[in-house]
Amino acid sequence: MTTPAMTPSRLDDSPAVSKKPLGKILLPYLLVLPALVALLVGMGYPLGWQVFNSFREYGLAAQFGTASPEWVWFENYTTLLSDGTFWFILVKSIVFMAITASMTMILGIGLALLMKAVSRWARLTLQIAMLLAWAMPIVAQMTVWGWLIDKRNGVINYVLSWIPGVDLIGHDWLVNPITFYGIGSTIIVWASVPFVALSVYAALTQVSSEVKEAASLDGASGWQMLRRITMPIIRPVITILFLLQLIWDLRVYAQIRLLQDFGAGGTKYDLLGTYIYSLGIGQNQFGLASAAAMIVMFFTIGLSWYYVRQLLKEDN
Amino acid sequence: MKKMTRGIAAFAAASAVVLAGCSSSEGETDETTSPDATNTAGGEATAAAQDVKLWLMGTDTPDELIQYLKDTYAADNGGTLTVEQIGWGDAISSLTTSLPDSANTPDVTEVGNTQAATFTTVGAFMDITDMYEELGGDDLLQGFVEAGSVGDTVYALPYYFGSRMVWYRKDLYAEGGVDVPTTLAEVTEVNASLKEQEIAGAYVPGQDWRDGISWIFANGGDIATFDGSQWASALSSDESVEGMKQWQELFTTASVASVTDDDSSAYQAINDDFLPGLPAATTMAPNWAFWSLGDLSENDEGEQVATWNDETFGAYVLPGVDGGVAPVFAGGSNIGISAATQNVEGAKQLMQIIFSDDYQLMLAENGLGPANTTFGETYAEVAAMGDLSLQAAESAKLTPAAPGWASIEEQQILEQYFAAVAEGGDVASLAVEYDEKINSLING
Repeated sequence: MTTPAMTPSRLDDSPAVSKKPLGKILLPYLLVLPALVALLVGMGYPLGWQVFNSFREYGLAAQFGTASPEWVWFENYTTLLSDGTFWFILVKSIVFMAITASMTMILGIGLALLMKAVSRWARLTLQIAMLLAWAMPIVAQMTVWGWLIDKRNGVINYVLSWIPGVDLIGHDWLVNPITFYGIGSTIIVWASVPFVALSVYAALTQVSSEVKEAASLDGASGWQMLRRITMPIIRPVITILFLLQLIWDLRVYAQIRLLQDFGAGGTKYDLLGTYIYSLGIGQNQFGLASAAAMIVMFFTIGLSWYYVRQLLKEDN
Repeated sequence: MKKMTRGIAAFAAASAVVLAGCSSSEGETDETTSPDATNTAGGEATAAAQDVKLWLMGTDTPDELIQYLKDTYAADNGGTLTVEQIGWGDAISSLTTSLPDSANTPDVTEVGNTQAATFTTVGAFMDITDMYEELGGDDLLQGFVEAGSVGDTVYALPYYFGSRMVWYRKDLYAEGGVDVPTTLAEVTEVNASLKEQEIAGAYVPGQDWRDGISWIFANGGDIATFDGSQWASALSSDESVEGMKQWQELFTTASVASVTDDDSSAYQAINDDFLPGLPAATTMAPNWAFWSLGDLSENDEGEQVATWNDETFGAYVLPGVDGGVAPVFAGGSNIGISAATQNVEGAKQLMQIIFSDDYQLMLAENGLGPANTTFGETYAEVAAMGDLSLQAAESAKLTPAAPGWASIEEQQILEQYFAAVAEGGDVASLAVEYDEKINSLING
């Protein structure tokens, strides 16, 4: 935490820039160059296509080169924005994002505080367990979850049926959209909590013990200490983590798609990611799908704008 | 600080695991792309050895047949034949992205018969009208030839067909004191009776429209009709609605499958222990399900295999409303040459091998209905349930050969319709709702 603060001050002490040899002035730019080129090639090209296509009517015939795509300006956008289904899915996705990201943060911070409090062995066990969950590839995760929630032979239904009076064997969690999204949200929270918990834990270790000692001398209770001392100090980390979670949970695709494979597909169970896929690959309306992706991108940029501003603020 | 670095190192290690997981799976899909597939000059009419790539959908083509294709191609052409199996669920998206790309396109590809129109109408396949006579001509299954043609131009030819039939458990039917049904209504009665006696039920997956559609067909309904210029969805016609109501009754009174089940699980449903609880005594599947049904045991490799047992397992064709045979959905696929291929000669040679007498005979022997109808008799004799399959095939129907049909399949519109009906929805209003959805897509 102290390193970034030191760097600018050292730069200020250095002699005037004009006296530096040319190589030294160029060096930082050279170092940034590879990342910039990779970003431009890797993101710029598909993004350019996406912007371009969002103004065109681009169907299967255009894909096979037997018809030239028609330039329709903003028609794709107006079609989407006047379509109830798109709004329904957008609202669903935002609600899903808010709930999932909040749950991830609450559980992640809770676990970080727990790690701070427990003994070394308990902490190590927790950390290893979380690293394993974090390291698990999505398809493997989903296969395991698919087994857990399976309607006929799933562990969850089996265990729940132990409760007297409950018989859930054969109950399908993926038919009702509410439980469908509930399961999806649970899986994503489970998979992203480790990242939040370990990052927050790392931040917690940087809260100096002198400050805490002073606070407890002043008679602060545990809860007061957490709210008034610890939280404000680690707030920058938490803000950034929360924003990252929001962005990730808005773009979620793989988990929802795989859940649809276990259960049923269709707009009833779609979020933005799977909806755009079905517009593009499913209906071959690549122009419309690009426009939908653009709308989501603007939304994400709006969110990230705040994130970038936070980063800049801290740099100053 | 030390703790933080350790944490970061752990993160790096963890993400390396994740990344390694990704890249290795990518490697798997790419390794079959032969690096020298492009070194042969396109359009050159020489008999030079060409390495070609064949896409087969699903795992319906047995390994033995794939090996035959590889060996024969190597002997005839000198080049290598690479065969890639694409899952049915990925078929349309894989074809959409790879077929137009001459560097990655399969040279020859199988395509579902109902998906063919979508690709032939946009020029994804090479015109093979000049090969039509040589590959079998009018002996080829005409319904499928039409599905792969646009007007008089032939793009994709039939590869194999299969007819859906009803598979049942003789022992469970006997236990419940019921006979093989002879009308469509009896199918429901028989299975409802078994379910009421808590012996068994019918496996009617809620999303399985490919089997359920027979109830619409049997009542004289249709998925969509063509007026000469436009396709129009016909789910809300009186006949179609009547058929769906009967299917809904079957599902609610007799099914042991659930709303989200689909036809992928219908093959083995009547095997022992497939279901916890009430077993399935009846299921519908194509005739090649024969190889997945029977007494279960483990082979030398420890894999579970099913051995057909005539004592406990049987099959019958789905009866019509007033007896006879109900029209079933003709499953199967077409095969054609990608318009973007750079190995025209090799691809044509492969087509000749596929339509050779030897290969057609092998298809018949393995229970896959041969494209060339002159082998129909052999098929009826040698293929398991070939006689029943041929009987069902006579009245079998295809899905609409409409340009937008693949979109409807890819979007799982009919799966959703059937699932909504299975959930107990009002058939008449659902039919109107889904007619609208289909109409917005079906004409491309």
